[in-house]
Amino acid sequence: MNRIALGRYLPLGSIVHEMDPRSKIMIMLFLMISIFIPAGVWGYVLIGIYIMICLVLSKLEFSYALRSMRPMVWMMVFLLIINCFAIRTGTLWFSIFGLGIYSDAIYQTLYIVVRLTLMIIITTILTATTKPLDLTLGIEKLLKPFEKIGLPAHIIAMMISIALRFIPTLIEETQRIMNAQASRGVDMENGSFKEKIMAVLSLVVPLFVSSFDRADQLANAMEARGYDPNKPRTRYKVLHMHSIDYVGMVTSALVLAVCIVLAVVL
Amino acid sequence: MSIEINNLEHVYNPGSVFEHAALKGIDLSIPEHEVTAIIGQTGSGKSTLVQHLNGLLIPSAGTLDICGFHIQPLLKIKDVKELRRKVGLVFQFPEYQLFEETIEKDIAFGPKNFGTEEAEANELVKKVLPLVGLDESYLNRSPFELSGGQKRRVAIAGILVLQPEILVLDEPTAGLDPKGAKEMMSLFARLNKEQNITVLLVTHDMEHVMRYCQNVIVLDHGKVKHTSDVKTFFEHPEWMESIGINPPSLIRLKEMLIKAGFEIPTEAITTEALIASLKGQVKSHE
Repeated sequence: MNRIALGRYLPLGSIVHEMDPRSKIMIMLFLMISIFIPAGVWGYVLIGIYIMICLVLSKLEFSYALRSMRPMVWMMVFLLIINCFAIRTGTLWFSIFGLGIYSDAIYQTLYIVVRLTLMIIITTILTATTKPLDLTLGIEKLLKPFEKIGLPAHIIAMMISIALRFIPTLIEETQRIMNAQASRGVDMENGSFKEKIMAVLSLVVPLFVSSFDRADQLANAMEARGYDPNKPRTRYKVLHMHSIDYVGMVTSALVLAVCIVLAVVL
Repeated sequence: MSIEINNLEHVYNPGSVFEHAALKGIDLSIPEHEVTAIIGQTGSGKSTLVQHLNGLLIPSAGTLDICGFHIQPLLKIKDVKELRRKVGLVFQFPEYQLFEETIEKDIAFGPKNFGTEEAEANELVKKVLPLVGLDESYLNRSPFELSGGQKRRVAIAGILVLQPEILVLDEPTAGLDPKGAKEMMSLFARLNKEQNITVLLVTHDMEHVMRYCQNVIVLDHGKVKHTSDVKTFFEHPEWMESIGINPPSLIRLKEMLIKAGFEIPTEAITTEALIASLKGQVKSHE
């Protein structure tokens, strides 16, 4: 379970860790939009450099950010194969088994791979430098203006924070049940198809049962403390923006602007 | 053959920011056919140690010899299934591992995994049910309609049905009422006596250690702090206090009596011995 790198908070105490979650979410949004603007090679170079600076400032290791991409590798290979069949424009480069490989197929795949890589690195930086609860607090504050048009910002934030809160618990629980079933002779990796189905069942059913139990207990505990989602509430933690937050937001907005200009000009 | 543990170490998440050494050089020799208690505070490494015994965890350093298996770092255990059948491991709150539609199927799940035929597995289930204090009327009921204590019995039956040589229990009585806990403990004592099963017990309950165990291992911060027979252990209440565990009521009574000026020999750790040593020191009111 320790292989799961994506979405884990790493207490490295860098300058990025200390930034306001609101500004970090905004920066992520600006960059995400930039990635989806067809600004050509130079656009991606610009975004790439910006993200690398963020990565260095956050004290994360490059290999750590790359490791969170491992689950995507097969998707990328699959994409390449589909593209080779589907895209038949551009110049013909070479052919394997009578199937012509066109330059556009390779370019398209590369673009998608670069986009995915950049997106994964951004989200990894965000989640590795921001505690889940700060993140939800940031989301809640950013959604606040939308409350005027009936968006229940607080309820959404509470749902997200409960979901995030229970991810480690669920991972732990999964590990525990896997160990318990392994002690009863379950082999999660080997065995026939039927045995594998039984192995998965022996894990999933107890997980569901205990999740429902937990949800029930949590609901009771919240009610017992008089929780009412519609009542105004104060915060233990109050967010403050510092100069670094403004610098971050302005520069990332600039990146977005440059990408738009590039896309229009090209 | 006893369980031999040599300089066992275990590090979680080596090389990452979450690196944590849970066991730091454990040397132990656990005698077979006896009941041994493993005690220690939360985070002392009890559960980590226990998971090495059936090959769920592989040591980071050191070796472990159990049931004819030699376990060492970086080496996959050959025939790990056989090890897991011989060393039955019951986790804390085992009731959460139940998943089948009927109790019969759930208990038979283990033997079937180890290659026992269905009919034979069902026979074994019928034999093991009375051991945990349930009768055959339970066979076709769903495990999810039982009470917490009954679920735990079913889960423990699911391990006992494998007929292990060594039974390892991680806090088997946590959350049970005193009556249920007592029944559970006498079951383990009986299994040890009648079937010669080696029992290893992780527990916080000193009354249980006193009543049912023969040896005590005290873990503290990933190291073995004390290991002794139960008699020596209770002659040293300061061992318990040093790891923040309350001595059992009898030992506390003994301490109070000593403070009050009675002379009581250190080896008096049973009710009878305590009464005998008080004789002659108490004035009769007749």
